[in-house]
This record gives sequence, C-alpha cells and structure tokens, in this order.
Amino acid sequence: MSALILRRLIQMPIILLVIYTITFALAWLIPGNPLEKEGRQPPPEIVQAMKAQYNLDNPWNFYWDYLGKATGVSWLLGRHDRPFDLGPSLTHENWTVNEILGAGLPVSMTLGLLAILIACLVGLGAGIIGAIRPRSWLDASTLTIALVGISLPSFVVGAALLVVFAVWLRWFPIGGWGGVRYMILPAITLSLPFAAYIARLTRFGMIEQLCADYIRTARAKGVPEHRVVLKHALKNAFLPVLSYLGPACAAAMTGSFVVEKVFAVPGVGQHFVDAVLSKDLTLIMGVVLAYSSLLIIFNLIVDVLYGWIDPRIQPT
Amino acid sequence: MKVLAPFVLVLAALAMVYWDDAPRRADLVFVNRGDVFTLDPQRMSYLQDFRIAYALYEGLVRWNNHDMSIEPAATAGPPEISDDLLTYTFHIRPQARWSNGDPVTAHDFIYSWQRLLWPDTAADYSNLLFVIDGAEEFFRWRTDQLAAHALGQQSLDAQQLLDEAQSRFEQTVALKAVGERILQIKLRAPTPYFLDLLCFAVCYPVHRPTVEGWITSQTIKAAIQRDGWHSVDEPPWADRRWLKVDPITGRLEQKHQWARPGELVSNGPYLLSEWRYKRDLRMERNPLYHDQPRIRSDSVLMVSIEDTNTTVLAFESGQIDWLSDVNAEYMADMLQERLSYETRYSAAIASLTLKGKSIDQALASLPPPDVGAGERRNIHSFPTFGTDFYNFNCRPTLADGRPNPFASAAVRRAFVLSVDKNAIVRNATRLNEPIATTLIPRGSIPNYHGPAGLPHHPTRARAELASAGWIDRNNDGLIESESGQPFPIIDLLWTTNTPRYKWISLELKSQWERELGVRVELRGADTKFYKEDLKLGKYMIARARWYGDYGDPTTFLDINKTGDGNNDRGYSNPLFDAALAAAANEPDSGKRLRLLEDAERLLMEEEVPLLPICQLVQVYMYEPGHLRGLTTHPRLVQYLWQIEAEPPELR
Repeated sequence: MSALILRRLIQMPIILLVIYTITFALAWLIPGNPLEKEGRQPPPEIVQAMKAQYNLDNPWNFYWDYLGKATGVSWLLGRHDRPFDLGPSLTHENWTVNEILGAGLPVSMTLGLLAILIACLVGLGAGIIGAIRPRSWLDASTLTIALVGISLPSFVVGAALLVVFAVWLRWFPIGGWGGVRYMILPAITLSLPFAAYIARLTRFGMIEQLCADYIRTARAKGVPEHRVVLKHALKNAFLPVLSYLGPACAAAMTGSFVVEKVFAVPGVGQHFVDAVLSKDLTLIMGVVLAYSSLLIIFNLIVDVLYGWIDPRIQPT
Repeated sequence: MKVLAPFVLVLAALAMVYWDDAPRRADLVFVNRGDVFTLDPQRMSYLQDFRIAYALYEGLVRWNNHDMSIEPAATAGPPEISDDLLTYTFHIRPQARWSNGDPVTAHDFIYSWQRLLWPDTAADYSNLLFVIDGAEEFFRWRTDQLAAHALGQQSLDAQQLLDEAQSRFEQTVALKAVGERILQIKLRAPTPYFLDLLCFAVCYPVHRPTVEGWITSQTIKAAIQRDGWHSVDEPPWADRRWLKVDPITGRLEQKHQWARPGELVSNGPYLLSEWRYKRDLRMERNPLYHDQPRIRSDSVLMVSIEDTNTTVLAFESGQIDWLSDVNAEYMADMLQERLSYETRYSAAIASLTLKGKSIDQALASLPPPDVGAGERRNIHSFPTFGTDFYNFNCRPTLADGRPNPFASAAVRRAFVLSVDKNAIVRNATRLNEPIATTLIPRGSIPNYHGPAGLPHHPTRARAELASAGWIDRNNDGLIESESGQPFPIIDLLWTTNTPRYKWISLELKSQWERELGVRVELRGADTKFYKEDLKLGKYMIARARWYGDYGDPTTFLDINKTGDGNNDRGYSNPLFDAALAAAANEPDSGKRLRLLEDAERLLMEEEVPLLPICQLVQVYMYEPGHLRGLTTHPRLVQYLWQIEAEPPELR
C-alpha cells in the first residue's frame, strides 16, 4: 500500500507538468488579451507596456516564469520572494490568484461534499428499496425519479428549486454563501445526477447479490432480513458505487459552473469559467493546477479505500 | 457505512467554518452590474467600478446628478477661473480628511493625476487629462523614454530615468500646489467641459502612503497626520510594499493589494468594511467625512450575483433593494407587465403627476398590482447616455482585398435610409427604447441641438444606391454594378453574448433584403473573436455601442476621428477632422457647440459611417416608494450615498 502511495506521489509532478503545458498552450490560443476591455481602448503603446509587465508579449517567458513561481522553484533559487505564488489576477488586479483560490476552493469543496453525501444517502436508499421489491411500483417510481435526475439539466432544477423554496416559501435565501441555509438548495441540485447514478448502480448490484448463494445461506440460517440486506448484500453491492465515488467526488468538489452560477455560490467553478472567458491567464493556470492536484489526490484516496473495504483487491 | 465516515467528518469541519458567515443585512442592498474589477480609481474603466468609487472617494467637484450641473465637493466653493479661461484655482476645504485622519491637500490631487498620466499606470483614461497644459507632452515623453530604455538606448538606470521623469513632470505639467490646500491648474486651451471631467471617478484622489504601501514609524505617521505626506521624506523603495521600479523595463510597477478593508484609506462618504471576491462588498459611513447629512444610508452592501435570472429571483424574494442591471431574457415581458399596470391606472397617474408627484411617487400611491393578471410596477427602464448602432466598414478595401462597397457614402446612406428602426424596437429589442438618428442621444447635453439625421425613406435609399451605380439590371431582384457584378454578399457581424443582437441583425437583414435587393449573411461571434475582427476590419457591417464619458459632444464625435483608437470603422474624413479641430480652437462655448452640431450633421446626414439604431436603456428593479434618491437624468450617475431604502420591516 505504501509503495502505491509513493509511486503515485512521484508520478504527480509529471502529470501536473503535462497538464500545465497543454492548458497553457490552449489558453494562449484564446484570441484577445486579458488587459483589453469592453468598449474603450487605451492607446496601443499602453497595451504594449502592460503586456510586457505580465509577460504577455512572449509565451515562452510566461510559461517558464509562471511555472517557476507557481512551483516555488524561483523561490528556492532566491529569485522570488515567496513560494507557490500563482500571481495576480489579470482582470481583477486587487486580488491574487492564491487569494481567489483560498476563498473559492473551500466553498466548492463544502458544497461538493455535502452534495455527495446527499447523493449517497438518497441513492443508496432508493437503490436498496428498488432491489428488495423489484418491478413493484416503488421500484418503478425510484427508477423514474433517477432517470429524471440524470436527464434534467441543473440550471432547470436549480431555478425551479429557487422559485419554489426561496421565492414562494421563503425558506432559503437566494444567492450568496454563509451558513447551512445557503448550502441546502445548491447541494440538492448538485447531488441529483450523482444520486440517480448511485441509485441505479446500487439497485443492479443489490439485485445480483440478493440472488447469490451466500445470501440464501444466510437466510436459511435465520439471519434477520434487514441484516441480510444491509450487512451482507450491501457490502458487495457497494463496490461499484465506491469506484464511481472517486471521480464523482472530484467532479462535485472542484465546483460545478452551472450550479454555482444559478445559486451565486462564490466557488472556483464559476471563477474558472469567467477566467477562461476573459482570458485571465494567471487565474486559468492557477485553477487548473489546483484542480488537477485535487483530482490526482482523490483518485489515490479511492484506491486506498478500495483495499481497505475489500482486502481481496490488491491495488496496483 | 464506515466508508462515509470520513466524508461526514470533513464536511462537518468545513460546515463549521461557514456556520456564521452569512452577510449581514445593510441599510441599502443592491446588485451592481457584475463584480467590481478594481478599487483603484485611476485604473477604472467600468460603470460598476465608478459607482463604488463615487461612494469611497471624493473629487474636487461633483455633479448634481439630477441636472448634471457642477457643485463643490472636496473644495470649499466654486473654483476661480481666469479671464482667458485657462487657469483654474481650487481651494480645498480644511475639513476634508482622509479616513485615517490625514489632511486632504492639493498634493493628493497632483499625485493622483500624475498617477493617471504615467504610462506606467496603463490607465484607460490617461487622455482625459490631456487638456492640462503639458500633460500630453509628458505622457508621450515618458512613453518614448521607456521605449528607448527597453531598446537599450539609454545610459541611465531605471532609478535615474524615474528621477528624470519626476522632475520633468514638475516642470512641464501645469499643476501647482500654491499652498497646502490651493491647487492651480493651467489648461492648454479653453475647455468648457473641464469641470465635468474632474467629476469623473478616474480624477478622484488616492492616498499615497496607502497605494504605495509605506512602512513608516509612528513619528512619521504623526507628522503625516499633521501636515500631509508631502511634508515627510519618501521612504526608501524597500519600505514601499506595493511599488517598485523594474530595473529591466524601467517602469514603475504597482501592485494593487492595498484595496482591502482596514488597509484602504479613502476620503469619500463611505469606508470599505468588507470585500470578498465575486461575493460581496460592504461599505459603512465614514465618520470623518465632512458632510455627514449627505449620507442617507449608514451601510451599503453590494452582493455579487451574476446569473441574470437569479438576480431577478433574489429581488422578488425581497433580499435586494435595488437591482441596477436587469438582463434576464424575459425582461421585455416584465416591462410589458408594467405597461399593463400603468395602462389600468393611466388616468390616476396623469392626475398625480400633474399635481407635481414624480412617477415613482404616483405609482407608490396606487393600489398594488394584480400579479395574477400579469401586472407589476417594480421594473423601470431609463434612457441612458449611450447609443446602440451598427458600424459600416469604411476602409477602401475589405480585409480579403476585395473592393469595399461601403467605402461609398452614398451606399452607406442607402443602408441607413432603408431601415425602419421603429420596427426593430417593436419586434427585436422590445425595451421601449427611443429610436436614434444621431450618434449623440437627443437632449442629453445642455444647449446642444444635434442634427435631424437621416429618416426612414426606402425610395430615397434606392435612389442613393442607383446614384452609386447599383441597380437591378437583369430583373433578378438583386442589384448589380455597371459592369454587371452583383453586390457582394454582406458580411454582418454580431455578438452572441446576448440574444439582443441576433434579433436586431435578423430584422436588419430582412429589411435590407426586402428594400434594397442585396443579400445579407449573418455571422455571430463570441465577444473575443468579434473584437479581433472589428480591429482588423474583417466585416462589412458590425454591431457596436458607445457610452459617453463626459458631458460634451466630443465624447461621442471623437470616436470617428481619423486614427482614433476607438474608430473601429476605419473611417477617415479630413473635413470632419478639421471640423472637430475648429471647434477645439473656438474659445466661445456657444459658437463651439454650433461647430460641433455642424460636425455631427456632416457625420450623420451625409457621411454616416455608422447606423444609429436606438438610445440604450438601463433597466432597474426596485419598489417605487421604497427606494429613494435615484436620478433619471440620461447620464444615470447614481450616487450610492444619496440612495435610501425603507427598512424591510416597514414594507
């Protein structure tokens, strides 16, 4: 297990460098420049001078300079005053990318975790109910709801939830962040597709397990039904769900642009899309580096959990 | 499920962080037009930033925003103006203080305007100050100095360059602190709108020790507090956190992390008390501000909600007092609902307004709208100081080298005469915009009477085309040149970020194809691509808009000058340039306006490098009667300190 973790940690910088390079190439190709504004244009010599200050006149310089400052190499070499400096945002000059990520990532992560938790509870519950009474009306209705959950785009669900629970019933505030009241609607919206998928995975896994020999044995021994379902069958039926949870967690926690936009949640998902639209290179690169590190770490955690929950699996 | 345990633990920890993090309600809660880009007044160029600047900072003078006349702000009275209209002397009021107690002096303004003028600051509005004697020369000189340094043609090092530039600024730019609080400015030519320029946020002062991040001892701090920062020596570079000289480029490099609550020192009615990126910005009454009764709300909260539908929902739920930029796709329908309400009570509204009540007061005194019947009274549309128009590419050839039919003024006139703008406003935009035949919004500048512009006249349009040689020669319904070449398929460029321009462009296409016998191809592009094509002239006709910056016709007309940075049309006419130059040299302000009227007549009745569609409107949401203090003057400068909202519990 420790060999696995070590190997992954060694691979990490290489993967990050590849991601950094590809993202940089793509971002550089976006037309326009981040210092340019809507409407009025400053004189060309000013634009030129600004580009020079932020290395925007030379992709090669920008690539190495940013890489050095972001990784802390420049700091180690004594060329920069601090490590892991992702630079100032090019469009919001009062903020550094570190500050933007520092404020946005915890928000996106909280929202994502809450959504995954809701998705697990709802999805597992619905899946188990469906599996115990397959082809009953209960099963049919959970499957239908799951289908709807996967198919409905989040901006529709989000807007509908806002209208009903925030505008009509006034149970929740609209927009912003702070306190659990602000988290519930966006978390539910974000959790729906995940919950639906988990419900389907659980149902099929459970149906398969409930027909297995060891379940018949357990029942014959007189194990109470709830223990059969929750203790014996669910444990094995949960494995596919677990392997899905890794990427799902990463996807949910790195911020959903649509959900964050609809609920005005100040998370990184929204910042990232805005950054791409305005070609805010430092912010784009900073978010991508933070995202990919998170993604790699989550995948590692899931692999470790795999071995922990089912010792038969030897992760490689 | 033991596997879920770590999730719950981490989640609980994170949730604790945000447990009590909700924004506190303020006296006035509003949604700006997107988040603020910068709180550095010299670097600003967006409406939402200016709006905050007017609350945090205070200039020498300000507008009375109901009629756009000029009134004293940080000055004790109106300036003394010399007889030749060139020298302005301002007396700063002794009570004017920075929020940390430092006095506001003439040096603060000179420093801030120098900052605006340095090419190093890269301010979008540097050229506003070019009316000051020596300012433009200094800007060009410093630009050349830096360019020469970058090419290695200078023997001086960066610090020497800076010293040279500093002494040159003091010698050549006609800004002088006659006393601590007396500022004298000499202009290069009489400029009737000079005071109007000074009301603009980019001319508001910043606090030098703050923006440079001075690290100073307590004794020096005390000296600054007594006599101002100009009375002490500048700290060494190592003791300035946000400013340094780049040894390679020679430029002054400014960081902007001083715009933080607790750190930002300002001199306006409000203090910055909280600012979170794309989340919220909160301001509280500045206890040191010299004119306390002027401030109507003790605290102002700007919440950042970008989704156009969510902003409307937030307003509907009562969380927001003022939604300053409604952009939801269904806003035309909401305006229609307001119209139904007004129609039902039209008689009552007419009699109330006759009695001297404002339209808001009249609406507030009526019975509430019947929401079920599709009525509302909380949406308001106001004409602004901006015009929506379409550019003609006026360059002699197109980007691909083909001859450009729109290089001919007759062809451009034909394309303007053939457009029925009422139909566009009725069918495409649907926001009750006043249609426009000129570039400058009618009635927006006192004493300026613009030309009539070209009417809707399809017959005349076809005659203009014929005079340029474009006639349907083979009866196929399409026009051809004398040599039988068909009119090139028109490349009409629009932006896809809002549906508005799709609808206008479709309407234009159908009108032109019907009236003129041409073929139009629509090309929608994302803003970035659109801007690039616009600069390179890769279009025949393209959508555009322009908002005026100051209360003078030149703020609109200048964008058609040969070589102007905002002349996307590539339009160049020596006659028009000469007309602007003649007006600039005319000392009599009345005669000057007549000359500018002539220039706009030439532009909008003969040359038409652009097709004006309508005056742009700004749509607000607020409950009439509950929100007071907004202006409806077309320049729509809203001062947050004069807006007040009735507390929610009273509604």
